[in-house]
Amino acid sequence: MEQNHLLTYLLLTPIAGSLLILFLKEENPKLIRWLGFLISIAAFIISLFVYFGFDASAADFQFQDKILWIKSLNVSYFVGVDGISLLLILLTTFLTPLTLLSSWKAIEKKVKMFTFMMLFLETGMIGVFMSLDMFLFYIFWEAMLIPMYFIIGIWGGEQRIYASVKFFIYTMFGSLLMLVAIIWLAVYASGPLGSFTTNLLDLYKVGPSVPREIQSWMFFAFLLSFAIKVPIFPLHTWLPDAHVQAPTAGSVILAGVLLKMGTYGILRFCLPLFPQSAVYYAPFISMLAIVGIIYGALVAMVQPDMKKLVAYSSVAHLGFVVLGIFAMTEEAVQGAVIQMINHGLSTGALFLLVGVIYERTHSREIAYYGGIAKLIPVYCAVLMITSLSSIGLPGLNGFIGEFLILLGSFKSSVLNSWWFTVFAASGVIFAAVYLLWMYQRVVFGTVKNPELQNKLTDMTARELIVIVPILIFIVWIGIYPSTFLDMTRLSTEKILRSVGSFTLSLVK
Amino acid sequence: MSLYDIIFYLFAAITILSGFIVVTSKNIVYSAFSLLFTFFGVAGIYVLLGADFIAIVQILVYVGGILILLLFGVMLTNKITNVDIRTGTIHVLPGAVAVGVLMGLLLSAMVWTEWKTQPSETPVTTTVTLGRLLITDYILIFELLGILLLIALIGAASIARREQE
Amino acid sequence: MELSNLSHSLNLLLPELTLSIALLVLVLFDLIFHHDKKIISYVALIGLLATGFFVINQFSLSGFAFSTGNESYRNFGMITIDSFGSFFKLIVIVASVIIVFFSLSSDEIKKTSERIGEYYALIFGMILGMLFMISATDLILIYLSVELLSLSSYVLAGFTKLRERNSEASLKYMIYGSVSSGLMLFGISLVYGMTGTTNLYMINSLIQIPHLNLFTFSFAMILIFAGIGYKISSAPFHFWTPDVYEGAPITITAFLSVASKAAGFALLIRFVKITFVSYIDTSGFWQLIHVFDWKTLIVVISIFTMTLGNFSALWQDNLKRMLAYSSIAHAGYIMLGLAVLSNQGLTAMLIYFAVYLLMNLGAFLVVMLIANKINSEEIDDYDGLGYSSPFLAASLAIFLISLTGLPPTAGFIGKLYLFVALVDANMIGLAVVALLNTVVSLYYYVRVLKHMYLTKPETAIPEIKTSKPNTILVLVLLIPIFIFGIYFTPLVDLAKGCITILGL
Repeated sequence: MEQNHLLTYLLLTPIAGSLLILFLKEENPKLIRWLGFLISIAAFIISLFVYFGFDASAADFQFQDKILWIKSLNVSYFVGVDGISLLLILLTTFLTPLTLLSSWKAIEKKVKMFTFMMLFLETGMIGVFMSLDMFLFYIFWEAMLIPMYFIIGIWGGEQRIYASVKFFIYTMFGSLLMLVAIIWLAVYASGPLGSFTTNLLDLYKVGPSVPREIQSWMFFAFLLSFAIKVPIFPLHTWLPDAHVQAPTAGSVILAGVLLKMGTYGILRFCLPLFPQSAVYYAPFISMLAIVGIIYGALVAMVQPDMKKLVAYSSVAHLGFVVLGIFAMTEEAVQGAVIQMINHGLSTGALFLLVGVIYERTHSREIAYYGGIAKLIPVYCAVLMITSLSSIGLPGLNGFIGEFLILLGSFKSSVLNSWWFTVFAASGVIFAAVYLLWMYQRVVFGTVKNPELQNKLTDMTARELIVIVPILIFIVWIGIYPSTFLDMTRLSTEKILRSVGSFTLSLVK
Repeated sequence: MSLYDIIFYLFAAITILSGFIVVTSKNIVYSAFSLLFTFFGVAGIYVLLGADFIAIVQILVYVGGILILLLFGVMLTNKITNVDIRTGTIHVLPGAVAVGVLMGLLLSAMVWTEWKTQPSETPVTTTVTLGRLLITDYILIFELLGILLLIALIGAASIARREQE
Repeated sequence: MELSNLSHSLNLLLPELTLSIALLVLVLFDLIFHHDKKIISYVALIGLLATGFFVINQFSLSGFAFSTGNESYRNFGMITIDSFGSFFKLIVIVASVIIVFFSLSSDEIKKTSERIGEYYALIFGMILGMLFMISATDLILIYLSVELLSLSSYVLAGFTKLRERNSEASLKYMIYGSVSSGLMLFGISLVYGMTGTTNLYMINSLIQIPHLNLFTFSFAMILIFAGIGYKISSAPFHFWTPDVYEGAPITITAFLSVASKAAGFALLIRFVKITFVSYIDTSGFWQLIHVFDWKTLIVVISIFTMTLGNFSALWQDNLKRMLAYSSIAHAGYIMLGLAVLSNQGLTAMLIYFAVYLLMNLGAFLVVMLIANKINSEEIDDYDGLGYSSPFLAASLAIFLISLTGLPPTAGFIGKLYLFVALVDANMIGLAVVALLNTVVSLYYYVRVLKHMYLTKPETAIPEIKTSKPNTILVLVLLIPIFIFGIYFTPLVDLAKGCITILGL
């Protein structure tokens, strides 16, 4: 396969930019903001080049770039994308400039450090999605912890320190377990392959032949690490804290991209590397996913704080994604991938919108608002579309993902029970309840709080520039999802084929 | 029990008894004087083992040098002779258990082990052999000891020096 | 001993000889130039560099020196020169050179500039002790070198005499040290009583006989381990560490935590490898003679050490004390590499040590530079440091992140190779214990970051300006942490070339 350095350029752009920013003077925040924004736009443009060069009719990893890195461990710098990872990279490069733009006003102190951290984080996220070497993947995976720690810890809310430390320790715990599993797998692979290797494509061949007992351990080590990131119930407790305390930009990136890394990891590693275990434990994990869906929805319902409500809705939405992945049918997994994107867009947008009014009033209490429809009509319209997208209204993006997941899980031979679908579907209804109820309390009625009259102003042009691109995609996916489904079809099939033989054996 | 054994037990008894007084006596001068007997007992055991040179050195250095120095130190520090040193016992039970266990270990090690022994023969003077070994096989050790002493000297000077403010 | 043998031996001992001469020159210069003592530091530096030069020269050499025995039986020496020893000697020398630079900018040491000659003489005594510890293969020499090291460090721990804690540290160190070296000596005497020799190679061949009393022998081994365990501050011989590290001048603390520990580990590894390994199988695992179960002992001690170190560090508010506990924990991690008893584990240990040298010295250096200014090592006084002195704070943050073992720092590489060695030996459970410990350690390292960056200071603290030499010194320690974190092949190759321990 011909070498192509496009992905490397994509990876280097934000990190080089972040280093450049380090040399700028703190006194000139405007320059730093613009430069950061332009760098992230540049990364987005490069990722578009990747998109247009991507051949959706090939299932292989494309744009592969490989350089031997550490000879003694047989580790190489090895990147490449398939449909799924490309989509997530696009999501990352799409959201990063928007979050930078959105924090134009919200972040006033230490702009330089903030921009540096965001670009550093972007490198980590892009790297995670394109790594085809377990070692490289792990480095990017861990490298993201530090900027995220600082983003929550420095620019966050009142409980930011507690939240950031909790976030750090939770994630670190999971990822270290994964490190041991990676080493274990690589050491195991040195038997059949003849040498220690962390090359993912080679490990794909070895993984399924690992003895059942050991495979389960490895599977759970990986799964635990990803499950904390997703988060799958009952490992979600760090998420509300981190989300609520993080600044808007942090929340958007956290919800939009970081959580997806967990589900992406499950899809990319857990399933193809350990198919037997994945199939065997699928009902159990799906059950947890369902619990997450219902629990997240119920808890979201009673939240007095808008941001917390959105945070818990994330738990529910990602439950859908996990259910879709472990249903292991083509529709369900495709739906899960689309749902990952959807959640990134709509929850990201919801966080942005909460951030917009928080900037003005410094309150996120639902009870504080009421009747703002008359004061800021444009905002309310945007919030309406976003909420409906999150609920899963037909015609908007959320519907496509959830529908495909429900359809796929119903047909799933791995889960082999329609109860999963029934319970999951109830989650959709709950979502409608808590979001619409929130919407009603915030937007409609009379203006109870006189303060709002002076404080609230409608969305500025900058804020609209941030939110409109997201809305475009929300509608696009809802109306014409084929653009995205076609991209991921072959990649999904390939993953399912690796677990396919075991799925069949279970049905019999 | 041969005469040899009797002499051995005699010296051993002197060593242990005087050692006991060193630890328990409340007067530091008594302690120092009993230490003399401890050293002496140990020297006697060295003689019995045929280590004549070590025995002499033990007497010369410890009794003749260190102990005298110690006593001088005590005498010159006029206050110290009048001070009752606290030699009370604390943590009797855990201490007794620890010592008991250690003693059991040592005893069983002593009894059950097949020690490497030299065939007993009439002792010859060891000084020449020792001297030769020290400048041939063990020359490195000998030289290193010199450095160790130098360091000890510098260290002692450093500790004793009064800090200038 | 024939003359040719002696000259051959001395040839192998060039670094030690150079260092001894440097020590004497140092003492002499101290007497001659008692008006301007600045020159002493440079003499020390030159002496160390010369020693370092000979150590590097020795990398390709190997052989025995100062063999004992008579004409017909002259095989092994008291000293063994091999690449393993040279590696550790290099670690010690590099650490020493850095410590000299530390001392040049330490306010604590500057206050005692009158006695700087003694200071360096004692440090040289320590280094000499370490060099002999690293290459000694005779129990007498082992004991003597440990004593030489200890004696110098007792004095140095209380060197500045400025605070009460200083003298307390010195005294505590000495009492614990005397007890453990006494235990070690007793152990040595038991071994001698059973085998009739003090040479490790001879013991190795003698303990293969079936009639050995295993009980007494194990007892002796535990006693000897007490002496070494004290030097590497492994539990349960670690009690002195926090007090001494906190009380001693920070230059000495840093030196103890790196060089002294390295020498102790070198001794432990060499002792175990030469005395107890019967052969190395094809995949690099060391097969022990069945007289003493070192594997179990080391596994238990290492788990105990790192857990205790990490959990105690959680509650520390004094940074020096915290780093002391963290160094106990790191001793536990490193010991895991020995528990594997394989060439791979040994490689991992060497890599870990090279990395540990950089990050631990770096952390102490920054703490010292900060203490020079704010006169405190309390973690609460670090509030807001990230903004008042961004360079120092960022450096400390990176050193601590590296100590935690997060990529892309060199600390990660150290841990990675340890984990690989453990997993390769099928000791997954142990790897999991180590990683759980890492998570615990994360908490207290991050706590420092939290204070520096996230907590608002109650009173504004002044900017700490670093002089150019200090900035360079920090960078010298900092940059390799990134380089080795990303491209560690040279480090790994060096370590792989240095696992030869003569004897098998």
